[in-house]
Amino acid sequence: MKGINSLKIFYMAVWRNFLTLTRYKVNFLFSIVTSALWGVGMLLFSLAFDSLMLERTVGTTNYVAFIIFGISFQCWQGTALWGASSMLQGELGSGQIDYTFTCPFSRYQYIVSNVAALAVQDSLFFLPMFCIGLWLANTTLTIQGFLLGLASTFLSVAALVQLGVIFAALTLRYRQINAIFSFFNFIIQMLSGMFIPMQILPIPLQIIGFSIPVTFGMDLLRHYIMGTFTILSPIYEWVVLIAQLALLSMIAKFTVSYLEDKAKEEGLHYI
Amino acid sequence: MEEIVCDGIFKDYGGKTSIRALDQIDLKVSNGEFFGLLGPNGAGKTTLVRILATLLKASGGCAWVGGYDVNKDEKKVREIIGYAGQDSERSAYFRLSIRENLFYFAHALRDVPKEIAKERIEYIASAIGFENKLDRHFISLSGGEKQVVIVMRAILHNPEVCFLDEPSKSLDPITARRVRCFLKDYAKDNNITICLTTHNMLEVEEVCDRIAFINRGRVIFVGTPLEFKRQAVMREIIEISTNRLGNDLSLKLLKVHGILNVTCQNNTTKLYCEDAFNALPEVVNVMREAGLKVPVRIAEPSLEDAFAFFVNGGKRDEGH
Repeated sequence: MKGINSLKIFYMAVWRNFLTLTRYKVNFLFSIVTSALWGVGMLLFSLAFDSLMLERTVGTTNYVAFIIFGISFQCWQGTALWGASSMLQGELGSGQIDYTFTCPFSRYQYIVSNVAALAVQDSLFFLPMFCIGLWLANTTLTIQGFLLGLASTFLSVAALVQLGVIFAALTLRYRQINAIFSFFNFIIQMLSGMFIPMQILPIPLQIIGFSIPVTFGMDLLRHYIMGTFTILSPIYEWVVLIAQLALLSMIAKFTVSYLEDKAKEEGLHYI
Repeated sequence: MEEIVCDGIFKDYGGKTSIRALDQIDLKVSNGEFFGLLGPNGAGKTTLVRILATLLKASGGCAWVGGYDVNKDEKKVREIIGYAGQDSERSAYFRLSIRENLFYFAHALRDVPKEIAKERIEYIASAIGFENKLDRHFISLSGGEKQVVIVMRAILHNPEVCFLDEPSKSLDPITARRVRCFLKDYAKDNNITICLTTHNMLEVEEVCDRIAFINRGRVIFVGTPLEFKRQAVMREIIEISTNRLGNDLSLKLLKVHGILNVTCQNNTTKLYCEDAFNALPEVVNVMREAGLKVPVRIAEPSLEDAFAFFVNGGKRDEGH
């Protein structure tokens, strides 16, 4: 038997996810509508926000677009961080993990392929909101900026996926990790500049924020699409993003293999 | 050639208060064999299967499946095995149809080419009588039907060795028979070695070439089902189709020459004796004198008798 490649698991998981989605039609429809609603709903925030402060710190008064890109990013962040461990928790609960773990592919490969498939699925819901953000930023938008923004987002989400794989591996060992996840989720949302510009945070919090893969990905996305200032020079931010991806990939691979080994000593089905 | 080999496998669960689930398991299963693992609940059957299927690590000893070490060559072992776990009837995608589920598992996770996967799904479904259910969503199936799908999934990629952990647990007798007949034929045609755990004695008699009986983590018997029965019940049995003999009549029967013990199980009374053929006429006389006209016959010891014998540590379950 030739080896099973990640791409096949990925596209088959996309196929499986879309089939499932289309079988919950009302839910599917509401997810799309809600995404657009969030985009429009952000206009309300602009009524109470100090746009001068925003211009001083990040170089734009367009708070609505600023926060829409933050929330759009959050869609992927949720999937990247939480997708893998909720998938494994589901498989542990139903017993499917016994079957999948007797199949001949690496666990890391399986988890990453499935999270990537989830990210594709969630992009559908993220799209309406993202389009509204683009429309609100139309004065600064260029094709090149759009592509660079997407590339930085891709790197950032890929690094987040590695963090998600680590959470998934923790699920194999500790079964319930909701509290651990909530802890990290809060830190990422508050300290990555998703809703609050990094530049106004105290220095110690900024340092923590720099280690979060979302921070520079989102900063570059806003920079290329909205023309905002970047926290560091863009080239440094790219380098940090790539380094974060490489480092987290190595840690994720090691964690999966180590914790799977530990889980095998007890038996994966004990949840 | 031996397809499964266990050499001194043992497994401890837990830390300070550890429980030994398996103790010095030595076992050999030949290529193409239909092998049954029997034993009471908690005997260690599932633990052994999970170790062989690379889901669990043994605390010591070695095991090989298809010639590959289950600890060192996990990936190679996984390439050649199929697996259907116990209580796994929820382990597929509820909103996909049976066909879509099987196609996903075969093509994405087992690398079966698309067209072959589709053909095999059709073939296996029609052999099991599921051809009209293939397009039903998994969620709409009954527990037993879901279990059949899980068994189909385990053999769809024609594994070299297939582990089935109580596959007939939630099946009705007709479906169970259809599935085991199919499995027996399919395994033979495709030279698949099957390792099955079960409590269903009928299943053991019908399909297993050999069995191992495990109790308290130890293998205490390996052989054919017939040898199992013979080794366990060395006495002959006269069976009377009633359980309402009363104490007086039971005592009279015990006095018949050659009768060693009398037990009641369900709706039958069993008389254990050295020579059933010789004792039978006198037993019939005693019954006639008591005015009790019920069928009396010489019975073969059943696998259940043998099972009870081995669970009791080799002491005959003849009293009550």
